Amino acid sequence: MIKHLTRRQWIAGAAGSFALSGCASRATKFAPVSIHRMAAYSESLYDLLRQVIAEHRLDVRGKRVVLKPNLVEFDEKAVINTNPKFVHAALEAFRAAGAAEVRIAEGPGHRRVTLDLADSAGYFSTIRQFEDLFTDLNLDDITRVLFRRPQSKLNSIYLPNTALGCDLLVSLPKMKTHHWAGATLSMKNLFGVVPGGVYGWPKNVLHWAGIDETIADLHRVFPRVFSIVDGIVGMEGNGPIQGSEIASGVVVAGADAVAVDATCCRVMRLDPLRVGYLRLSASVRQLGEEMIPQTGERIESVARRFALLPELESLRLG
Amino acid sequence: MIPASPDLKETQNPDGGWGYRRGSGSWTEPTCYALLALAAEGRFASDEVRRGIKWLEVRQRADGGWAPRDGVDESTWVTALLLLLPADLVQRVNADHAVSWLLSQTGRESGFVQRLRSRLLGVQVDASQALEGWPWFPGAAAWVTPTALTTLALQKLNRRTANRDIGERIAEGQAFLLSRRCKDGGWNHGSTKALGYDSDSYPETTGIALLALHDVRNKATATAEDLAQKQLATCGSLEGACWLTLALSARDRVLNADLASIKTQHPSTTEVALSALTRAAIAGHNLFLE
Repeated sequence: MIKHLTRRQWIAGAAGSFALSGCASRATKFAPVSIHRMAAYSESLYDLLRQVIAEHRLDVRGKRVVLKPNLVEFDEKAVINTNPKFVHAALEAFRAAGAAEVRIAEGPGHRRVTLDLADSAGYFSTIRQFEDLFTDLNLDDITRVLFRRPQSKLNSIYLPNTALGCDLLVSLPKMKTHHWAGATLSMKNLFGVVPGGVYGWPKNVLHWAGIDETIADLHRVFPRVFSIVDGIVGMEGNGPIQGSEIASGVVVAGADAVAVDATCCRVMRLDPLRVGYLRLSASVRQLGEEMIPQTGERIESVARRFALLPELESLRLG
Repeated sequence: MIPASPDLKETQNPDGGWGYRRGSGSWTEPTCYALLALAAEGRFASDEVRRGIKWLEVRQRADGGWAPRDGVDESTWVTALLLLLPADLVQRVNADHAVSWLLSQTGRESGFVQRLRSRLLGVQVDASQALEGWPWFPGAAAWVTPTALTTLALQKLNRRTANRDIGERIAEGQAFLLSRRCKDGGWNHGSTKALGYDSDSYPETTGIALLALHDVRNKATATAEDLAQKQLATCGSLEGACWLTLALSARDRVLNADLASIKTQHPSTTEVALSALTRAAIAGHNLFLE
């Protein structure tokens, strides 16, 4: 099955985002980005994520919601994955907000044994009946989606029906540096929806097609993503797998992934204007700090200087 | 001990193929593993095998390969899995055409264009990048699992009818695998270093790679065997433990794991099939190597 997103569908997608986010001026401005302090994966995280849904006026009553964490590899010495308690708190928050169904879905890029990886990462022990709630996006049923005016070398891509068919896809990335893309946040997290069952482990086709460009193309396919970034403990240095943990102590959320990622970059002291996939997805003007409505903590008050590999120092803010 | 498997007949789809999980659409990979497992159990003449084979036969593409599932317009690595099936099961498959397709595939990084590009750009490239392995998807780089499985498939063909071209690609595939060992002596997906930092191996890929090197005996494989035994003793993944057992049993190593103790709430088709194949291998009947 081939899915070609027509102009009408794009408009419908934008309208869906508009309705879900409750944003009144989406056409000219990004939806607001909220920043909250959160020092630990404590019980108060559950209240915070409920608050995030409320303050962004997400109406998910009766909707099918898919949570997409960042589950990559497991190393007990590293903070690679979205913390399982963060995912559980999101699950409970969307259930409490009246969602008809909340599923957790991911397609790890390196290891094929997804459930074993999730078990090692603590998802089974933290989230009751995890296996019943989880969809392995690597092995899901798929639809071919044509890219309209692609930035990458791909004209189309196969994508999982669980991600394409839900009412709201929620990106739950870990706040990390990335040794190729600069930072891996809400937009890069969507690499995990690309099915390994078609493209392999890793999804190396995306690398050859252009990492930044493919991130930008995927963003255009999923305009309705709501993002909640696990920046409570982030990863700096040689991310996304071999970096060191950093107590960044924030949760960043919003209905525009570009705005959320640009804000996260500023929190990490990275210049969003120098991050390739952000520049491909928005103009310099749009990425300006003053153009992104913000609530909660001010960026300056929560900013942490994430260590960067020497090769990436050119991305440093200021 | 290997846990008893649910009957694969119960999870076969009405169209004759198998999904990765009960109730999901049919894919080529689990269909091939299910058929291999049924063959290992001696159920050659069963209705489920006949229907599964038919599902595969009608899906051979014009270029000789197979797509991972219906709706994907590209032949991929799964083509190798067809050639792992017993020859008398897939008589209506054009095996020569499938082999030609497999031999035409190589990692993009080892291709002439990419090597020339690297040279012109002055990029320092590791010598192992020139070795021809197999990609998951045409046009991408070569990786450990597709290279190991294609090597196993070509080895199977070469045992039936020796062919120099095939023999050369088998040797190259094995050299590729040996060049992609992690620092601990095992294998991960195929990236041993990330910007200079060593990466760790995984149980499942260590098992698959070691199985494809079953006829190679040297210091590197001895180290890998030791590591595989250690991984098997602590492996919490049924799929990983099966691949490790398949590899170690082929090297007459003592097996130090109780696979029945590994919890799997809803085993996938691949896990069920690999368990059956592992049971058969322990009994002296390793279908990957026959």
